[in-house]
Amino acid sequence: MIYSFTDYNAIKTPNWIGLDNYAKLAHDFIYLKSLRNTMFFVLIGVPCNLMFQLIIASLLNFEVKGIAFFRTFYYLPYLVPMIATVLIFRLFFSTDFGVINVVLDTLGIGKIGWLEQPSLIKPVIVMMNMWAAGSGILIFVAALKGVPRHLYEAAKIDGAGPIRSFAVITLPLITPAILFSLVMQMIANFQMFTEAFLLNKGGPDYASMTYMLNTYNTGFRDFKFGYAMAQSWILTLIILAITLVVLSTSKRWVYYEGGDGR
Amino acid sequence: MNTVGRRTTTWLQYILLLAGLAVFVGPLLWLFSTMLKTQGQTMEFPPEWIPRPFTFEAFTRLFSSMPLAPRWLMNSLMIALSVSLGTVLSSSLVAFGFARTAARSRHFWFIILMATMMIPYQITLIPLYLLYKNIGWYDTWLPLIVPSFLGGAFFVFLFRQFFMTIPKELDEATNIDGGNMWTVYSRVILPLSVPVLLTGAIFSFVFSWADFFSPFIFLQTPEKYTFIVGLQLLIGTQSQDIPALAAGSFISLLPIAAIYFFAQRFFTEGVVLTGTKG
Repeated sequence: MIYSFTDYNAIKTPNWIGLDNYAKLAHDFIYLKSLRNTMFFVLIGVPCNLMFQLIIASLLNFEVKGIAFFRTFYYLPYLVPMIATVLIFRLFFSTDFGVINVVLDTLGIGKIGWLEQPSLIKPVIVMMNMWAAGSGILIFVAALKGVPRHLYEAAKIDGAGPIRSFAVITLPLITPAILFSLVMQMIANFQMFTEAFLLNKGGPDYASMTYMLNTYNTGFRDFKFGYAMAQSWILTLIILAITLVVLSTSKRWVYYEGGDGR
Repeated sequence: MNTVGRRTTTWLQYILLLAGLAVFVGPLLWLFSTMLKTQGQTMEFPPEWIPRPFTFEAFTRLFSSMPLAPRWLMNSLMIALSVSLGTVLSSSLVAFGFARTAARSRHFWFIILMATMMIPYQITLIPLYLLYKNIGWYDTWLPLIVPSFLGGAFFVFLFRQFFMTIPKELDEATNIDGGNMWTVYSRVILPLSVPVLLTGAIFSFVFSWADFFSPFIFLQTPEKYTFIVGLQLLIGTQSQDIPALAAGSFISLLPIAAIYFFAQRFFTEGVVLTGTKG
């Protein structure tokens, strides 16, 4: 904590500079951009991911033969090391040799710079997270299995269609799993580093510069440890604040079987 | 619903499941296909799933452009095995303490331990880095291995959840027969917990093997790199040798995939038991 008030750079002894580090952040263009990018991943990426995981989990909840086989393979990408995931995505999205562009080019549409255009790289990263979302899917599958079947039968007798019974039975009953996944994935997205670093080092034009990647650059590339610590502390406070907000509003929308409203 | 209707539903469900399978497995198959191609074949249209002819030259090129690769693989293996061993030994002992001792304050300390899981790593990263530099651990494997011997909150939680399900009567019987706490731990709890211990060992091995961040931060000398960090160098050079990169990625996921298919049960149980993403 103390280092964040100094100009420590691992060579000289740190000087006390008070709040200067924090004041500087407000005018640091790349820092502000990295903050905005990270908010994109948390506010847009995470909800997209949760919806995707819920849809896939619903597929895996079908009662058909061989479902275990599908589950095995749906989970597999989660275990693929991030470096391999990044490479696989390059095989598809790279401008020059990516399969998608090879096809588009031949069809006469021309090549699209998926990883070179600032507006496209963040969605590609969100897709990477979707592809590797196995454990999130598994949590939803377990939650869906926990919904008592007799509720669906009762709803059917009352004339509710599949969509309505999903909305009034399934969704409320799996809110604890949604809350858990929401908090975990928000934290993970705030801390995103490896994906952005390996895919395009935060480029193009800082479009995929995540908060942690910028802090890493500040600390370990430029050796401004004091400045980097100030950034870390702000991120920690943001994570703490948002987690607390989510947890405190959760009382209103999360249903607990015990029923004492907690 | 009549039989025809039900059969249609089943078919629809299979079609959806197969579409999902294509999304999750297709890219992996494409990786396998790419690593067996020559560089020219990767640019061909239409793209071929089964390269003709196929070749293993990508692996040869990979190892000649990364002469240290065998060493990196060995490093990764040694580190991951040590982490795995450390996790099982230390976290199970800590979990035993939380699950079985009568200490009044154990609930308090357990909550503290769980809270440490919530602390974002970036807040400890730079202080840890400076600490390791000061005690001379920077550029050694110690920062990667030693923490696992001090117990990890995630694994303590995993093991404790399981230990709690073992009947206490077994402890009492052991005590009557003259066994102390240590006997209970080593002769009763551990043998009964082999499945969850294996889950812990597998998870910690996989996390350690696939970890990019820690070895990237704490290692400097190329000879000490893990395979994942070494592979990153190749990507960093913007190498256009796509099949070789694909071959490297394949090697990086091979041990994990092998373990996964042999011990799949332990993976899914671990995730459901703790509900956690690594």
